[in-house]
Amino acid sequence: MSDHLSKQFDLELENIRTRILQMGGLVERQVSSAIDAFSTGNLNAMQQVVDTDREVDSLEVAIDEDCTLLIARRQPTARDLRLVMAVSRIVTDLERIGDKAAKIARMSQKLYATERHHFPPLSDIRHCGQLAIKMLQGALDSLARMDIDTARQAIREDAAIDAGFNGVLRQLITYMMEDPRTIGESLDIIWIAKAIERVGDHASNIAENVVYVVSGVDIRHTDDGGEKSGPT
Amino acid sequence: MAPGWRPAWLALLPRLLLILCAALIARAWLGPVWAWAVAAVGSIFIVLAQTRQLIALAVWLQAPETAGFPDAGGLWGEVFIRLSRRLRADAKAVETASADLSSFREAIQALPEGIVLLDAGQQIRWCNHAAKAHLGIRLPNDAGAIVGQLVRAPGFAEYLRHPDGIAPFVLQPQAARARVYELRVVPFGERNKILLSFDVTDAKRVEAMRSDFVANVSHELRTPLTVVAGFLEHFGNDGAMSGEERQHFARLMTDQTSRMLSLIDDLLTLSRLESEDAPASEERIDMDAMLARLSSDGESLSGGRHHITARAGGPGLRGNWKELHSAFGNLVSNAIRYTPEGGSVHIGWNGTFSVRDSGVGVSAEHLPRLTERFYRADRGRSRDTGGTGLGLAIVKHVLLRHQAALHIESQPGAGSTFSAEFPAWRLAE
Repeated sequence: MSDHLSKQFDLELENIRTRILQMGGLVERQVSSAIDAFSTGNLNAMQQVVDTDREVDSLEVAIDEDCTLLIARRQPTARDLRLVMAVSRIVTDLERIGDKAAKIARMSQKLYATERHHFPPLSDIRHCGQLAIKMLQGALDSLARMDIDTARQAIREDAAIDAGFNGVLRQLITYMMEDPRTIGESLDIIWIAKAIERVGDHASNIAENVVYVVSGVDIRHTDDGGEKSGPT
Repeated sequence: MAPGWRPAWLALLPRLLLILCAALIARAWLGPVWAWAVAAVGSIFIVLAQTRQLIALAVWLQAPETAGFPDAGGLWGEVFIRLSRRLRADAKAVETASADLSSFREAIQALPEGIVLLDAGQQIRWCNHAAKAHLGIRLPNDAGAIVGQLVRAPGFAEYLRHPDGIAPFVLQPQAARARVYELRVVPFGERNKILLSFDVTDAKRVEAMRSDFVANVSHELRTPLTVVAGFLEHFGNDGAMSGEERQHFARLMTDQTSRMLSLIDDLLTLSRLESEDAPASEERIDMDAMLARLSSDGESLSGGRHHITARAGGPGLRGNWKELHSAFGNLVSNAIRYTPEGGSVHIGWNGTFSVRDSGVGVSAEHLPRLTERFYRADRGRSRDTGGTGLGLAIVKHVLLRHQAALHIESQPGAGSTFSAEFPAWRLAE
């Protein structure tokens, strides 16, 4: 990126960026295999997602410590400071996304553990999940390339996930009204859908941080970035 | 000094002699001072002439390709000719080298495998088109980017640091239908690396099909064997079994063993069909007789529950009777098994063999995979109907050996038509 007098400083900055992107890669896989396992009912994959969550947590702590050390040792300014600040915020978002993936996996385990398989149609949730994965990919790509356009694109996609979540909610409500025996399963599925919707929100946070690093403008809670619209 | 340059020295001699003579004449007529003056003026002329040529050389060297080389005789002419020859040869060498380089680059660009050049910091220096598609790299923007930031699959960074040289890194797809890539790292130069990516989607699919096949065969054999084993245990334990019961169990066991036998027969048929390229013998087949045989086979399978019609009105067919009879028979028995009671099955021949039924039909998404071994459009029902799951695979292979094409048209609920179209040279009057 930029040239500093100290090559070592450059190296440390790039190192932090590489590490957070690798954590991002791990979280990406967590989300996609959780959603995959949810639609195929693969119990092994669900357990694996739950187990790997610990790895994500320890990465969060390690990268956060790297950020603190770098600020203390190098006293970065301007864009470098913004990058370090953004990374330490992004790391929290990624950890939350990891939690959501583990939650999807745990809920799916519960769902498939009961012998009754009277599931409501799941294709809409799967679609939402694909959107969320794509959005997370876009947000991480924008971080890798420091590309504002990709970041803004990812932020815009959040609206589609929210709309999808509302659709799933309406569908499940009719399903529960038709047959009250399915309320238990439907509620579990709502939790899963909600987790997917939150993945979208966190991905949007990541993209907003990228915009902040590159342009220096904080677009959180502004119309520019698209206020994280909760489902209505 | 190179001997070739002696003429150049000799060429200078007349001028020096001329100046010397002029100086001697001036001395005789005008005195020694004038002699020195004449010698000095002559030398100045020589220096000026040399300088003029030197300036011409400098001017020409500024743009040697466009300006023709200056016209000069003697030593300077020789220098110009040699220089321009050397320049032309260099230009040609550079041209050939850059043409070689660009054709080399084009060849690498055209490779189906992705190639990424990485420097010591694992930064991307260059990559070809395939690598852009495989790994999502965008040049020129991504030149200098660290590859681990763009390819974020867990474990890849580790692999890049310590490639073990034997096992490649498998890049698992994010989406269900995305492609699978294998990545390999090859060190080159001082600390640089080449990252290679291969599309292994098809290989992985074949691998999955093979293990599916083994699992399917085992499953298909296991089910009847479990039933038989259960009965045998029953026979051993229960001494007081009535003759009627015994007969009933024996009949059920015979059913199961004959199912296993037919499965193994089909497997053997398939492997024989696959291992030989062409039918052992070919003859002219009377299609009227073939259709009569097929419809009587069909009647006995149906047991009068279906309305079976056959209509032959075409040329004879060259081929292997046994193989074609088994292929056509499979199509007819499929039609009967997938048609509910009271439905109709029509067998036709007019150069194209066709079986049309009014059965359950197949939805469009299953059609391309229908001839795969053990592929079942409806998992629940097809085992009840007694099929081995290999019928259409056999049909496909027999037809391939007869250069015929299998066409399937079907609509769920409205019935299906399976037809085999033979090439013209197989049809005999």
